[in-house]
Amino acid sequence: MTLLIGALIIGLILSLLALGVLVSFRIFSMPDITTDGSITLGASIAAVLLVQGVNPVLATLAGALGGAAAGATTGILHTQFKINSLLSGILVMTALYSVNLHVMGRSNVPLMQATTLASFGEKLGEWLVGGKTIHIFGWPVASADAAVLVLALGFTAAAGATMFAFFRTQLGTAMRATGDNPQMIRALGSNVERNIILGLALSNGFVALSGALLAQYQGFADAQMGIGMVVWGLASVIIGEALTGTRSLGLTIVGTIMGSVLFRLLVAIALRWGLNPNDLKLITALFVFAALVLPGFIEKLKRRASSAT
Amino acid sequence: MLTIRGIRKTFNPGTVNEVRALQGVDLTIEPGSFVIVLGMNGSGKSTLLNAVAGSFYVDDGSITLAGYNVTKWPEHKRAKLIGRVFQNPFSGTAPTMSIAENFALASKRGHARGLGWALAPNLMKPLRDRVATLKMGLEDRLDNAIGSLSGGQRQALTLLMATWLKPELLLLDEHTAALDPKSADQVIQLSDEVIQRDKLTTLMVTHSMQQAVSLGDRIIMMNRGRVLHDIRGAEKKRLRPEDLIDRFEEVRRRELLDESAAAMLNELYI
Repeated sequence: MTLLIGALIIGLILSLLALGVLVSFRIFSMPDITTDGSITLGASIAAVLLVQGVNPVLATLAGALGGAAAGATTGILHTQFKINSLLSGILVMTALYSVNLHVMGRSNVPLMQATTLASFGEKLGEWLVGGKTIHIFGWPVASADAAVLVLALGFTAAAGATMFAFFRTQLGTAMRATGDNPQMIRALGSNVERNIILGLALSNGFVALSGALLAQYQGFADAQMGIGMVVWGLASVIIGEALTGTRSLGLTIVGTIMGSVLFRLLVAIALRWGLNPNDLKLITALFVFAALVLPGFIEKLKRRASSAT
Repeated sequence: MLTIRGIRKTFNPGTVNEVRALQGVDLTIEPGSFVIVLGMNGSGKSTLLNAVAGSFYVDDGSITLAGYNVTKWPEHKRAKLIGRVFQNPFSGTAPTMSIAENFALASKRGHARGLGWALAPNLMKPLRDRVATLKMGLEDRLDNAIGSLSGGQRQALTLLMATWLKPELLLLDEHTAALDPKSADQVIQLSDEVIQRDKLTTLMVTHSMQQAVSLGDRIIMMNRGRVLHDIRGAEKKRLRPEDLIDRFEEVRRRELLDESAAAMLNELYI
């Protein structure tokens, strides 16, 4: 049960990363690898501030803003200096590795003694329940875990709703159109370059928010924690699209959150069954590869089958 | 009023792909005037429209529109003054977004876009009414993705979007060339209605002699990046398609002569 709840919480926290990837990859059609660096940046900024005793909400927000600045940098490299979008992301990600080490001062910052959103949630849970455990459907559950799960759920729902609302405003609609048809939105007077910079800032802000929360939940920030996270986000987005389709923005956002939770659950189960954790990134990459290639391949097989008859 | 003074544009200067697309164009277009731009492929007519729209900056010369010197304005800033319909029906609309959202974007052309809802309630009623005038049944499908519509429907909607806020200048770049004849007729008729009703200053590029003689009050014929003929007033009204074809023939013969002369010189001296 603890394992299940842990997987659900991490899945929910990483769904913010997946929402960030949704913005860059699906709305702007730009696979943005800045993600790998900005999730760590969000975690390091939040961790360092928390160790100094800063309010956890402020520390989390500061982490998210740091990610937004990193995203804006990628956007500026791409639009103002005309560097290929993938390369812009690689440059910023590489630079962020050093930046993160400087922010933290070492490669790992533990948060065991600090007051974090997670420790706040745990205390809240025990206070509300009045005991260390509660029974959910007859299962004994640590009340601290249950409270953190509810908090994570609330946080994710609020973040998803905010993103949905934003993309229905005048500015948000113009940003979606930028990814859909830049020529059209330019002819309607919207600054495409500015929209891309804003979009990447938004995307990486969500990613860094995810990193800040993840550090608080797992109790440390680490310079290596971002490796391969963009692929993790892609996997979540792709699973989400399979679950809810892409017919509307709201469904896509809900699907992405569900995709992230489901993917984390699958990984937890696989690890339980004895999957070597070292193989995790390989399997994630293979999964995304298959998800990208298989639809076209199946289509081809179908066409061949129908032309043969 | 649009005033163009001596604009020049060379693409890929100094390379084997050098194209001198505009070689000094001067043009003044009065407010409310509907100008047809004709010319053979490569004559510079689409380049002229793109130069006015700001798709690129000209190398030389100036462009003044509605009292603003827009020569150095970026494309998105000029969009405040200009409505555009492109040749490709896919270019003017955002395919995965709904008809209503596309119009919501058009209703903010040239204005700051803030955090108000895009689909403002006071937009929906006039939108339904305007789309209903197309008689395509689209007013009941405003939530459908615009990419699911035919080229003709999309081009008609693009025209309504470009003129939703009255532009100082409407640019139509062969906007019916990619459509089937029936849709093309519909879109041309719609264009003429909107232009007459709102008295829009218009530049329209076309390849159709029929459209050129039946529409507009002035014809500009371009050749090799320059204005070759400027036909207006009573002469424009008298014009028949045959007259235009004769003028094209004359241009073609001159080009042929140039080419054969070049070939002869080549043979003689190289």
